[in-house]
Amino acid sequence: MKEFAVRDEHELESRLIGTGVERLALLGKHADALMQGYSRDEVPLEALSDSALRRLLAARIVWRPDEQGGVKLAPRVRELIAEMLADETRRQVNADVGETLELVRTLVQSYREAQSQGEYWRQEQQLLRLRQAVDDLNGRFADAIDSLWQRLNSDFGFVSRLNDKIRENDRAQKQIVRLLDGLQLIDFDELIELVGSDGTLRKLLISQLQRQVSQHYTSLREVQSRLTELMARFRQQQSRSRLISGMAAFLREHPNFVPGNYARRSDVPDLINQAAPLIAAAAPAQDHEPDIHVLTDLVHQLPTPVHKPQTVAAARPAEAEEQSRVAARQQALKQDVESFYLAVIDHPDPMGISALAYLQESDMEWGDEIWLFQVIAEYQGLPRSEQRAFQLHQSESQASRFNDLRLIHDVTLQLANSA
Amino acid sequence: MIEHGPLLERLLAGEFVCAVSDDRAFRRLEDEEVREQIDTYLRPLNRRLATNAEGSVYFLAWRQLNDEAREQLSRQLGDVLHSLMPMLEWLQLMQEAMGHDALVAPGDVLKPAELSARCEDNQSLREQLERLAGDNFFGSQSEQLDAQMKQVFKRLKEHGYLLQPHTDRQVYLVTGKIDYLVDLVRLIRDEENLPVDDESPQTQESLL
Repeated sequence: MKEFAVRDEHELESRLIGTGVERLALLGKHADALMQGYSRDEVPLEALSDSALRRLLAARIVWRPDEQGGVKLAPRVRELIAEMLADETRRQVNADVGETLELVRTLVQSYREAQSQGEYWRQEQQLLRLRQAVDDLNGRFADAIDSLWQRLNSDFGFVSRLNDKIRENDRAQKQIVRLLDGLQLIDFDELIELVGSDGTLRKLLISQLQRQVSQHYTSLREVQSRLTELMARFRQQQSRSRLISGMAAFLREHPNFVPGNYARRSDVPDLINQAAPLIAAAAPAQDHEPDIHVLTDLVHQLPTPVHKPQTVAAARPAEAEEQSRVAARQQALKQDVESFYLAVIDHPDPMGISALAYLQESDMEWGDEIWLFQVIAEYQGLPRSEQRAFQLHQSESQASRFNDLRLIHDVTLQLANSA
Repeated sequence: MIEHGPLLERLLAGEFVCAVSDDRAFRRLEDEEVREQIDTYLRPLNRRLATNAEGSVYFLAWRQLNDEAREQLSRQLGDVLHSLMPMLEWLQLMQEAMGHDALVAPGDVLKPAELSARCEDNQSLREQLERLAGDNFFGSQSEQLDAQMKQVFKRLKEHGYLLQPHTDRQVYLVTGKIDYLVDLVRLIRDEENLPVDDESPQTQESLL
């Protein structure tokens, strides 16, 4: 009896595998049409023969929601594709913990039954299905968490408007709550009781599952807090944008608007208190011995000036040259004034000789003022004995009725003894 | 204190220090102990370290508001108000040109050439740029779109709103000073009770 049953089960399994391969192949064979059905509402029928459509319907890859309507992708297939593409707009989060736990309970009971009846093959089969159920549960959480991280890390980049991002974030947060609720359903006390002393089950349903659940728990909490943060940022962005556009609109409507002078208030808002810039200036100084070497080095490092080399004679400091030019002119002026004095001596005139007249008759180019100044200075610079030989008359006037300043218009020089 | 020398110098010169303009300095300023050290140093200069509400930019404020400081603050406030409208218009222009529904934010990368291209294709953006570039604050004399955009970016860089990491490349980063500007707008709105709303309308979910 038992042998027959085992053989039947083997046959059943190989038939399942055969059909499975056949139907999976349908996915590949009609991938184009199916993907069009994924991106649009319906699967286009033009590309499918009647028999192909029948096979797809039989494999529950597509279905017909109502007799008149078109053919659509089965929800599971849509989920599968979304999962394969990590398509966050359509990826679903569905941990279905309650149902899985129900399945686990049933499988554990079947496993026990097979064990007590010594049906090892069936026992193995039940254990395999148990492992798959636990892996599925684990995988669904891992997928859901992965999907949440993907959305988070892309700042919900699959939608462009801020409002959509906020809605998506909200949806993700609700999913997290559902996932956390799902994890809460896993009651380890119950599982411990269920597995009893069986080491294999204990390892699978207690130690392994516990480790995985606690990992998921941590991840979900982390994603949750990051989503909340991101939500706050989205809301802040939204508020900033509204603030700026609102203010711009207000200022356009009220071009003469002037806010109060907050700086004159007793309580100045912190935000506008911004100190005047202060430049921390410094200059090379030589009063610190060790620095001198540094300065010297720096001077040596200065780029060589691009001027052409100059001859030594021409390379006198510009200032000295300027000074000597002034001195030369001064000397020339002095000599010219001395000539004027000599002229007075050579041509004694009882009326004296006007300094300005002398200047104008000569071809000298001195300014009137500087000439008179030098003539007077020369007179005052003579030794007292020689001064007595000349008489200097200043023709002058008062600056104004109220100002006693005397203005000299000309000076006349004559020999003292000719008067 | 010696390690804070360059940072102090920048702060004293009136710069705003944020995570974009100087990440390392900014992280140091986030340390309360460092802030206290700097404050102590600044005390005789009648200055202290200040930040905005979010703590995203640091700058120097007067410690004691004497008459001179108030005088300077009034002048400064006047300058800021002068630049307010062109700045708001620029923010809106950037948002529209990039097709975003959020304002530019610290760390955003802006490429004048790309933005010029967008404005070229869109008469309304083109006019907006023209209007704001010609404002005294930006002071563009040019009629060429590229030159206008360039001048606008140049001025924003001078004012510390933008940073140009490589002088030979026309790529700019938005600095934290933008946050300061937004905060200032909010301050004016609140102080003057202006009818400018920044709350989002209730979402459908919460109405249900």
